[in-house]
Amino acid sequence: MLLAVALALPRFQNPYQLLTFTRFLLLAAMAQGWNFIGGYAGFAAFGNVAFFGIGAYATGLAMLSAWHVPFFPALAFGSLVAAVTAALVGALVLRLKGHYFAIATLGVAEALREIADSWDDLTNGSTGLDLPIREPGAFFYYTALALVVAGLVVTRLLAPSKMGLAWMAIREDQDAARTLGIHATPYKVAAFALSAVFAALAGGVTAYQNIHVTPTDFFKLQYTLEMIIACIIGGAGTVLGPVLGAAVYQVLSTYAWSRFIELHPTVLGLVIIFFVIFAPRGLMQAFGATWRMAKGERRFRWTDLVANVRVNRVT
Amino acid sequence: MNVAELSQIAVNALLLSGILALVALGFSLVWGIMNIVNLAHGAFIVLGAYLTFYLHEAAGIDPFLSIPICMVVMFALGFAVQRALINQVIRAPILATFLLTFGLEILLVNLVNYFCKGDTRSVTTAYTGAGITLGYVRIPYIRLAALLIALALVAALAWFLRSTRAGRAIRATGMDIDAARLTGVNVPAVYALTYGIGAALAGAAGSLLSVMVPFDPNLGGAYTERSFVISVLGGLGAIGNVVLGALLYAFVDVFVGARLPQLSEAVTFVVLVLALVY
Repeated sequence: MLLAVALALPRFQNPYQLLTFTRFLLLAAMAQGWNFIGGYAGFAAFGNVAFFGIGAYATGLAMLSAWHVPFFPALAFGSLVAAVTAALVGALVLRLKGHYFAIATLGVAEALREIADSWDDLTNGSTGLDLPIREPGAFFYYTALALVVAGLVVTRLLAPSKMGLAWMAIREDQDAARTLGIHATPYKVAAFALSAVFAALAGGVTAYQNIHVTPTDFFKLQYTLEMIIACIIGGAGTVLGPVLGAAVYQVLSTYAWSRFIELHPTVLGLVIIFFVIFAPRGLMQAFGATWRMAKGERRFRWTDLVANVRVNRVT
Repeated sequence: MNVAELSQIAVNALLLSGILALVALGFSLVWGIMNIVNLAHGAFIVLGAYLTFYLHEAAGIDPFLSIPICMVVMFALGFAVQRALINQVIRAPILATFLLTFGLEILLVNLVNYFCKGDTRSVTTAYTGAGITLGYVRIPYIRLAALLIALALVAALAWFLRSTRAGRAIRATGMDIDAARLTGVNVPAVYALTYGIGAALAGAAGSLLSVMVPFDPNLGGAYTERSFVISVLGGLGAIGNVVLGALLYAFVDVFVGARLPQLSEAVTFVVLVLALVY
């Protein structure tokens, strides 16, 4: 997949559009992070918003602390805290498989939310932190863009590397991988920590952009969901998938917001259901299949559309 | 903590465990037989609660009497959902059913939110506050009734699974799907039946909860998580285990809740991790 992506730099659109694009980029960054643990390594983590929140709080606290740490170092600090947390939690939780792992990570996120809510001395409880004010605008956009590009580069480099191949081996069959001499745990923990870093960086940027950090807003389950859906739509385990999926999701989401403001999560649910049933490998796979058809390697059959269902249903 | 407080807490835990057992049972049945972690379980609970609420408001039906109605409605809904949606991805990797039920939960809860508005509601009747006081301990009638009904439903389920043909078919499918199919069991029907039963039990629990606590559309999520924890604690196999798990969990939850109420989710999580890792 030697694709050189042409980046369209922002012609200055109005603030709302810029905000939407920034949201898209941050989602793409988070999705890319999730892609490491969920897409490549095959461990579906349902609690990555925990790292988003950790990043937000760590960045915020660093900036508000006695040293008045400037933004970018604070961001780095936030990602470090998240990575360490991920490593510690991961060591415990990554030995679980499938559902158990998913729910355990979900539990982590929920537990962290409650802790952030009650640990008044540190986090100012439910009132939240107030960060130094900064004009919203292009600054955040470019930071987010840099984040996404970094994500693309990292994914592109790691996917065919030893680490990436190890991840894929673990995803396909962890025990077989182990017998081949691949130590699963360090690779899994690395993937988890990497996903934490991206989520935390996104969290820090969002924190600064939002100025106000609260437990309810920053440990929202919905954010984890969005990351995962973006990967599912675009294609987990691919380089471009998360970004593509994030774009599609953002479009759908913005459209749904403007038309059905109250039923917005319903639309979300429907999208998930649709993709899970009909296209679980995402659009990248659909594109790949279409490309192969265009090249003449396979012919299109109507049953292709329901192929996933036929394989997976019970009769 | 003195004896009075302790005994009240113990009684509260006991009363709570009935509902938890009911909720966890439906969840664990679906998980054990179909290997589906049904994240939409909470949605059925919420639906049951709202149905009871509206039946009470609109037709004056006593909430306890509406339990059978809720169960039938939820069963039908669950059956349809399984047949139409979940059955399509049942053999896919685990993440698929997980996400699907997740999507379903969001969908259903949001629809409830939209049609019923998110205000907190509860069902109050003439006997809401009443209870008996034995010594230091107060036992509200409603909670007692809820416990008894929950236990009755648990017993009914146990009987159903052991003694009826359909029940045995369900158990057989859970043990070995191919062998079951070979002996003539209609697997998709059994799956739909199982899911429907799970939904019905959730609906019943929702009905009971509607009289016990104030509820809003987000009631379900916490119960789904708790069901998960209890199922893990108790083990997926036997009903008795799930009940014991519920009891244990209820005690931990209530004791901690008496001291640190804000951390209840954290506690749930800690219990879960401990149970899983060991």
